[in-house]
Amino acid sequence: MLKVRDLVVKRGARVTLADISLSLPAGETLAVVGESGAGKSTLIAAVLGLLKPASGNITWNGAPTKAIRPALVVQEPRAAFNPVLSLRRSVMEPVVAQGIALAEGRLERLCAGLELPLELLARRPGQVSIGQAQRAGILRALIAAPPLVLFDEPLSALDTVTQKHTARLIAELQAEEGFAALIVTHDLGYAVAHADQIAVLKEGRMEEVADAQTFALSPKSAYCRTLRDAAIALGALEAVA
Amino acid sequence: MIKLISGLLLRALVVLSGTAILTFALLWNAPGDPATAIAMARFDALLSDEVIDQVRAEVGLNRSFWQAFGDWLGPLLRLDLGYSAVTGRAVWPDLRTAMGYTFPLAFAALGLGLALSVPLALVAAKRPGSLLDRIAVGIASLGNAIPAYWLGLILILVFAVKLAWLPALGASTPAHAILPALTLALGVAASLTRIIRSGILEARGQPFLPAIRRRGVSARALGRDHIAPHAAIPVITVFGLELAFLLEGLVLVEVIFGRPGLGTFLVQAILARDFSHVQAVVVLTALIFVTVNLIIDLIYRVIDPRIGESNA
Amino acid sequence: MRSVWALVIILILLVGLGPALAPYDPTAINIPKRLSPPNAEFLLGTDALGRDILSRLLHGARWSLGLAFLISLISLVIGTIIGLAAALCGRVTDWALMRTTDSFLAFPELVAAIVIAGLIGAGSWSLIFALSITGWMRYARVARGIGLSVQNRGYVVQARLAGLPGWAIARWHYLPSLIPSLTVVWTGMFARAILGISALGFLGFGVQPPNPEWGSMLLDARVHLRSTPLQMIWPGLAVVICVLAINLTGDALRDALAKQDTQA
Repeated sequence: MLKVRDLVVKRGARVTLADISLSLPAGETLAVVGESGAGKSTLIAAVLGLLKPASGNITWNGAPTKAIRPALVVQEPRAAFNPVLSLRRSVMEPVVAQGIALAEGRLERLCAGLELPLELLARRPGQVSIGQAQRAGILRALIAAPPLVLFDEPLSALDTVTQKHTARLIAELQAEEGFAALIVTHDLGYAVAHADQIAVLKEGRMEEVADAQTFALSPKSAYCRTLRDAAIALGALEAVA
Repeated sequence: MIKLISGLLLRALVVLSGTAILTFALLWNAPGDPATAIAMARFDALLSDEVIDQVRAEVGLNRSFWQAFGDWLGPLLRLDLGYSAVTGRAVWPDLRTAMGYTFPLAFAALGLGLALSVPLALVAAKRPGSLLDRIAVGIASLGNAIPAYWLGLILILVFAVKLAWLPALGASTPAHAILPALTLALGVAASLTRIIRSGILEARGQPFLPAIRRRGVSARALGRDHIAPHAAIPVITVFGLELAFLLEGLVLVEVIFGRPGLGTFLVQAILARDFSHVQAVVVLTALIFVTVNLIIDLIYRVIDPRIGESNA
Repeated sequence: MRSVWALVIILILLVGLGPALAPYDPTAINIPKRLSPPNAEFLLGTDALGRDILSRLLHGARWSLGLAFLISLISLVIGTIIGLAAALCGRVTDWALMRTTDSFLAFPELVAAIVIAGLIGAGSWSLIFALSITGWMRYARVARGIGLSVQNRGYVVQARLAGLPGWAIARWHYLPSLIPSLTVVWTGMFARAILGISALGFLGFGVQPPNPEWGSMLLDARVHLRSTPLQMIWPGLAVVICVLAINLTGDALRDALAKQDTQA
């Protein structure tokens, strides 16, 4: 269970995140929604232990999150892979680094679950399509079976058809592997469709945190209502009666 | 702006102090007992252990490192360079004499180098890729590979020995400075030519130039107002490096041509283990170098405000 | 890059096989035949002690080139470690290491090497020490610059998250980006080392007789400038040819890299 309590992050003198609190039980999905500059990426960096918060704490079952080695899937997969190494090497890095013995057939099973042909892993990142590279990134994130996986706009670089497809694959794998997912996205439709909770970030503050269905039906704050209505107008979210 | 200048000054100061400490540490830890060497130089046959100890106390070699450093640094900051334990004389007059031979040579070499490189670069840049251009660049590359001391020896061979046009050793007449200056200038010209040439080519490639031309500005004015300043920037940047090469070349050239300048001064001081002399030259060199680079840094930032804190 | 490899191989062959090609023992003294001009017996003539100049040149490659290679590699290692440390160990370390680098750069390197070698005492080891310790700075600057830019790349972040140890990250993720630029710097420093060794040899501070280092051969030749001027040509020519070859290779490499950058 991920618990973030009263997190404050500063950059120099400027406060980039203030009084952020949320909790994410194992196996569930929390979507963090917000405009650009709201602090979503900062939140991810903080949860991953990549930066030191000014105050507050972030724990997984009481211990600092770094202990469980949470994984990260980023928006632009090609930047996240070393261009000179084969995909297979990069994908296996977490297990190699942590000295874990990979269970028999796990790689094949995950590849099947992500619809990635095994031979593709022999190629370099520049030699596969962006959709395939993104799925390889998800493969790397899951290979060492971390209990928590963070996604920073995982679908934004993909075309619409691939987006829906990849989102479904992620959901299916989550059901199988049982990891908790914290997904940052600006796509409210995606959030409502796949998340258990939705948190809205506005200018570094938590505007609202609610159960996804409740949020879609009746968001509490005016800002969130505007967000929801805009998503419906754009066709990203289906109107609910 | 003030912040920038004071930042650069601070850096220069830190750098100078670092150099001073490093030099002092080196001299202090050099193998061999300088007291013995000095005593031998002074007293010859009358050498005995007591004499050596006396010299040691006199020269102050029995102090601790930081004590000695402080004793040297204090007067230095008051611009007092002290005395040489080897010659027994004050350091400054000898240093000044040596400078008197080196500085004119350095300036002559720089001037001559510039005079050689600018026309060559202009010719080369006139038509890039042409035969003339490639010859010019080839000569420049060659010049970079030729060691100054070899070139000096060849020039002596050709002009002093075979042709007997110019004197070789010593520094008694201005004519004696011609060959040394030429030797150094050729090295300077070799580097500068390539840099000026690429500077001109790059300046010519600026996208707004054709537009200015269409407005009727003459080629001459274009060259003067737009190409030359832009091309000057890399030259100024490289100037600091050029100075380093020049100083290194000076040491070797002075030894070859038997000129009693700073180079010979330094080499002799090293061989004689003359601490005060070595320190004086090192400090002087560092001072010149750091000051010139500081000025270059400032000019650079004034000319091109785009340059930010790339190295900090 | 291939031309660099070709160059390195040629130079290694020269250093390794050169002595085998030498017709005579470079230290063999032969007073009756001293100071002879090039002839059938001694292709490049003999020096003041009657030693064959060609043989001395070929053996000298081991000193002038071999030592230069060693020195440039030592400085490469020192400089890269310092540069990477500056990039990766926080701002305080960065500032301290960069100011140190500036201090070392604040002084003309060869003059510093002359002072160091001269004071420590003549000989090959002090030569290696003096030139290595005055040659690492350019590597440090380049390594730091690349280190800083690679540090924040996606795959480095991933490696850190995965728990990959520092040395493995350096080996797999930093090295590929470092190698091209460091090689360019290395060619320049290799050439400078050759010039430095021969300069120190010429001043008598470097490799000591009877070892046939090219710079000290020039020193010997200088004395006999009037009588046998040709003797002076050969060692200098050897230096020029090697330095020129290395500089041209370095230029070609730099141009190739620049082209790669603009294409990327």
